[in-house]
Amino acid sequence: MALVNLQNVTYKYPLTKTPALQNINLQIKEGEFVAVVGANGAGKSTLCYTLAGFAPHFFKGEMSGSIEVAGKESSKSTLDEWVLNVGLAFQNPFNQISGAKYTVFEEIAFGLENIGVPRDEMKDRVNDALALTGITDLADRSPYSLSGGQQQRVALTSILVMQPKLLVLDEPTSQMDPIGTREVFSVIRKMAEGGMTVVMVEHKMEWIAQFADRVIALKDGSILLEGKPGEVLTSDVLAENGFGISRYTSTAREAKKQGLWKKEKLPVTLDEAVEGFKK
Amino acid sequence: MHERLSFHIKRDSVLHRLNPLTKLTLVLALIMVAFTSPWYWTPHLLFLFVIIPLSFIGKVFREFFFAATRLILPAAGFLFLMQAFFQPIGEHVIFKFYFLDITQESLMFAFKNAMRVIVMVSSFTLFLLTTHPSELMSDLTRRGLPGQFAYVIISTLQILPQIQSKSQTIISAQRSRGLDTEGNFFKRAGSLVPLVGPLVFGSLVEVEERAIAIEARGFTSKSIKTSLYEIADTSFEKIIRWGLIIIIILSIVLNIWL
Repeated sequence: MALVNLQNVTYKYPLTKTPALQNINLQIKEGEFVAVVGANGAGKSTLCYTLAGFAPHFFKGEMSGSIEVAGKESSKSTLDEWVLNVGLAFQNPFNQISGAKYTVFEEIAFGLENIGVPRDEMKDRVNDALALTGITDLADRSPYSLSGGQQQRVALTSILVMQPKLLVLDEPTSQMDPIGTREVFSVIRKMAEGGMTVVMVEHKMEWIAQFADRVIALKDGSILLEGKPGEVLTSDVLAENGFGISRYTSTAREAKKQGLWKKEKLPVTLDEAVEGFKK
Repeated sequence: MHERLSFHIKRDSVLHRLNPLTKLTLVLALIMVAFTSPWYWTPHLLFLFVIIPLSFIGKVFREFFFAATRLILPAAGFLFLMQAFFQPIGEHVIFKFYFLDITQESLMFAFKNAMRVIVMVSSFTLFLLTTHPSELMSDLTRRGLPGQFAYVIISTLQILPQIQSKSQTIISAQRSRGLDTEGNFFKRAGSLVPLVGPLVFGSLVEVEERAIAIEARGFTSKSIKTSLYEIADTSFEKIIRWGLIIIIILSIVLNIWL
C-alpha cells in the first residue's frame, strides 16, 4: 500500500487568485526516494508544505482533494499529530535553529523533548543521529556559530532524529559544498533503504540521477512529467519548458544534433557522459 | 562569533549544582530581607557576609567583581548622590551647594538605599553567573511553567545578538549603495529609515519560518515534555526553600504590621 496518497489536490494560499497546486495526483510507496524538480514558483515548496501538513493547517487557504499519509487523512488530523509521521526540513538553515538551545546536541534533542521521549532513549537517538550525518564533532558548539552548510546538516539531523515515516526536504543541500552534498545524499539514500520514505526538492540534477528512485517535474502547480530519473531528466519536454537540466545532458543533446552522440539515451551524470562519448 | 550568549560561567561548584529554583528563592529572600529589615545595617552585612562569600563558593568571584565594578557600582553611586542631595530630611547640614544641602541623615538614608539596590542587583548577577538559562527554564517548565513562555525568554536572549549582527550587515549594504550615515543629528536619524524597514520586515518573515521549524519538531505536541538534562533537586533543598519562603513571608508580614 502507498504511504502517501494525494487525490486531486488543489490548494490556494489566502489572498491569492491562482492556485499554487492544481489537481495533483501522487502515490508514493514506503521506502521510495522521490525527487521534485521545477522552476521558481512551480509549487515545489507548496507541495512540501502540503505533505508536511502546514498547508492548510498553518497557512490556512483553500484545500480540496484528499491528502493521505501513513493511513491518516490530513483534513481529519491536527498539525501536532501530523508532524509525528512527517518530518520537514527546508532551505534556510538559520531560521530552522530553534533558538531555545545553546549547543548542537541540545538543539537536536529539542524535538524529542517536545514529544516526550524518555531521557536515556533521547541521548542514544541524538548520538546515533549525529553519527549518521557526521556531525558528532559539532555536538558541543553553539548552533549559531556554525557555517551555513553545517547548520543545514544540523537542521536535517534535528528532523531525522524524530524518525518520521515520511521525510520531506526542501533544498536541504543548497548551502553545501559538493562533498557535503554527496554525504547528505548518501545518508538520505540509506534512510530510504531502511524504510523511510523521502520526498526531496532539489536542483542538483546529477545527484538526483544517482540517488533518487523517481522524479516529479512540476510546472505552474501541476505535475508535468513523472518517472525514472534517467528518463525524466533527459526528456525533451523538460528542456522545452525551461527546466534547469544537467550540463552533461545539454552537451550530449547538442552532440547528438551534430551526430557525435551515438546512444539513444542522453546522460545526466558525468560517468554516463564519459561512457557514452567513449563509444 | 557569538559563542557566549549568556552570563553563565561554566564551573563546578556547590552553587552551580544547586537547583535553579533554590537559587532563585534565595535571591528573592535576600532582596526581601534587605528591603524590609528595620535594622539599618542589614543590607550592608548581607552584601559583605552572604553575597561576597557566595561568589567565592560559586568560584565566580573574579567575574562577579567585574560585573559589580562596571555595572552595579556606577548605578548605585548615581542613586546614592541623587538621594543624598534631594532627600529633605535631617538638620545636621554637612555640605551646602546653593539650594542643595546634604545632611547627616540624608547621607545615611542614601547609603542604605544604595546598598539595598546593590544587594538586589548583585545577588541576581550571582544567580545568572552560576545558572545556565536553559537549565533554569527546563526546571521551571518541569514545575508547570508553560513551554511557550520559557521558549520566548530563551530565544529572545539568543536572537538579540543575531539581530545586532544583521543590522550591521544591513547598514553596510545600504552604505555601499550610497547611504550617508554620518553628519548632524537629523541626517543620522533620517538614515535609520532604510535600516529599520529591512530589519523589521525581514524579522517578520523569519518569525514565520521559525514557527514552521519548531512546529515541525513537535513544539505544540500535547504529550508531556521530557528534558535532556536531569536537574538535581534533593529533599534537603526543598527544606531550604521552604525555610526561605517563610523568611520572605515573615519579612512581608512584619513590614506591613510594623
